Amino acid sequence: MDQLLEQLTNGLAVGSIYALIALGYTMVYGVLKLINFAHGDLFTYGAYLGLTLLTSLLAHDRMGLGLRLLLLAVMVMGLVAVIGVVVERAAYRPLRDSPRLSAVVSALGASIFLQNALMLLYGARYQVYPDVLPQNAVRLGDLSIPVVRIAVVAVSVVMMTVLYLFVQKTRIGTAIRAAAIDQGAARLMGIDVNKVVVLVFVIGPALGGAAGLLVGLYYGQIGFTMGWTYGMKAFTAAILGGIGNIPGAMVGGLLLGVIEALGAAYLSVAWKDALAFAVLILILIVRPSGLLGERVAEKV
Amino acid sequence: MKKSIAALALGLVSLAARADNVKIGLLAPITGSWASEGQEMKKNVELLVDEVNAKGGVAGKQVQLVIEDDGGDPRTASLAAQRLATQGVVAVVGTYGSAVTEATQNIFDEAGIVQVANGSTAVRLTEKGLKNFLRTCPRDDEQGRVGAALLEKMGAKKIALLHDSSAYSKGLADEINALLKAKKMNVVFFDALTPKEQDYSAILTRLKAAGPDVVFFTGYYPEAGLLLKQKKQMGWKVPFIGGDAINNPDLVKIAGKEAAEGFLFLSPPVPKDLDTPEAKAYVASYQKKYGEAPQSIYGVLAGDGFRVVAASIQATGSTTSGEKIRAGLGALKDFPGFTGKIAFNAKGDRIGELYRVYKVDANGNFVLQK
Repeated sequence: MDQLLEQLTNGLAVGSIYALIALGYTMVYGVLKLINFAHGDLFTYGAYLGLTLLTSLLAHDRMGLGLRLLLLAVMVMGLVAVIGVVVERAAYRPLRDSPRLSAVVSALGASIFLQNALMLLYGARYQVYPDVLPQNAVRLGDLSIPVVRIAVVAVSVVMMTVLYLFVQKTRIGTAIRAAAIDQGAARLMGIDVNKVVVLVFVIGPALGGAAGLLVGLYYGQIGFTMGWTYGMKAFTAAILGGIGNIPGAMVGGLLLGVIEALGAAYLSVAWKDALAFAVLILILIVRPSGLLGERVAEKV
Repeated sequence: MKKSIAALALGLVSLAARADNVKIGLLAPITGSWASEGQEMKKNVELLVDEVNAKGGVAGKQVQLVIEDDGGDPRTASLAAQRLATQGVVAVVGTYGSAVTEATQNIFDEAGIVQVANGSTAVRLTEKGLKNFLRTCPRDDEQGRVGAALLEKMGAKKIALLHDSSAYSKGLADEINALLKAKKMNVVFFDALTPKEQDYSAILTRLKAAGPDVVFFTGYYPEAGLLLKQKKQMGWKVPFIGGDAINNPDLVKIAGKEAAEGFLFLSPPVPKDLDTPEAKAYVASYQKKYGEAPQSIYGVLAGDGFRVVAASIQATGSTTSGEKIRAGLGALKDFPGFTGKIAFNAKGDRIGELYRVYKVDANGNFVLQK
């Protein structure tokens, strides 16, 4: 029983990171029907920029730690958003009217470029964040949960909720949803689709960058290839929840994390990924459009 | 027309100049997740090539180093090996990971190129009867013996073995498992983690439930660092032991000094513990050129690989025949390598015990255990 509870908290912590990254995949797919393979690398950029900025912020001890971390998060999200917009402008927009395959290949190219650029800038070694977060844990009976882990889940949930409300309740959010349903019709209604696309490439990468920062702060070790593993998992989470669907990405991420943890606990550690992907296949057989995805007729 | 003749002439001149060189290949993970090891391999070998060339080269010819990147990936490596084979190298130094080396062995063997691996410790690499394959690093069965002996000496009653499914890591874990079983020792956990993840809390929770007195992790340092760090966050105090792939100072950076303290690992001696005069002079010249001492023993082992190849070419006088160079390597006796005396047996394995036990102290230093 104790192991079950502990594994659930383990799974939720990993899952909330997957969910944050999955949002970037799902939003871009929703609007452009493009799988942004460079998204995992934008997440890595968030982690590296976070480390660079954190080092200089730590030198300013007149601000409280909380304020500094908030400032850090805002800067990292802003910078990664800028990179995201540049990637869209350079690698995707010129191919907007080309066959979809060209854009996917371009996305893979952008991913390889970003990853190797990062290696050349920072070197191939793993980088390590300084320990800035409190190390204490909350005790619940026999269960001890590190405070940081609770914070990671809380921060992710808050960001996801804000995004959900933004997309559902604001005018701009409505424009994003309209562009996702039908770009041509949205344009006829006076929506500037290009602006919507840019906005999607601001929000998605910003959340991905925030996830990178969280991973850096929480786990401490970052490497220039980490975007690949997280990207794959987050992409899976997005499909699991129904790609193109924002709450779906959140549910998919959390679910994937929990399945992995439980697989490691009760099946075999080595088989946890196999189990997670088996669940994905089963869900796709039963619901081809994902858990929360809507069945949309393919346009001919 | 004139221009093209001039170009042709130039081409011939440069071809003639090149024919005076002896080409030696370096296959290393310059990119990918072992890039830090690969880049050190490159630094070590480049430095030594410069030194050899400054002294007039080998067998009267200048050494031309041809570097190919294997990306730490078997598929990339087989392509890189084919490129090396078509570029006329007589010998290749490298590479690091066992699975990666395995993908290149047959390509070099068929091309008659001598391959001297520097970090690939999987047993089966030298059990295939390949004539042209050698290695400067020891084998996992030796490491397994040292590891099992250490576990026995510690008086462990319940042992957990954790690997990462790679050829090296699984091979070493199997080796230790078999030895422990033979000694009727109790292995309570045997499983694999997925490398390159960040969160190993699910695995640690599972491990803890198995209740071992000691955990032997046979994987690489990035995962080991995270395991140690997350183990400490969980408040679990079981001792951890690791294999030679954990020998990298970044381990302490990743885990933090407190979490790394007391961690034991097996390894060939680290660069700072190399005590021969040659090794000391070499570390000093490396420091002078790159501004830091070599960090990874595998980089130094790649350097030793290049030096034995150069010595064999010098001794046999052959710059074209892989067969003669292989024979020359087999004939080496007590070659003064940086990592100790080097000689090879008929299989191409290095002769002599290389493994030591290291412990991480409170300041994060790797201390040789006598």
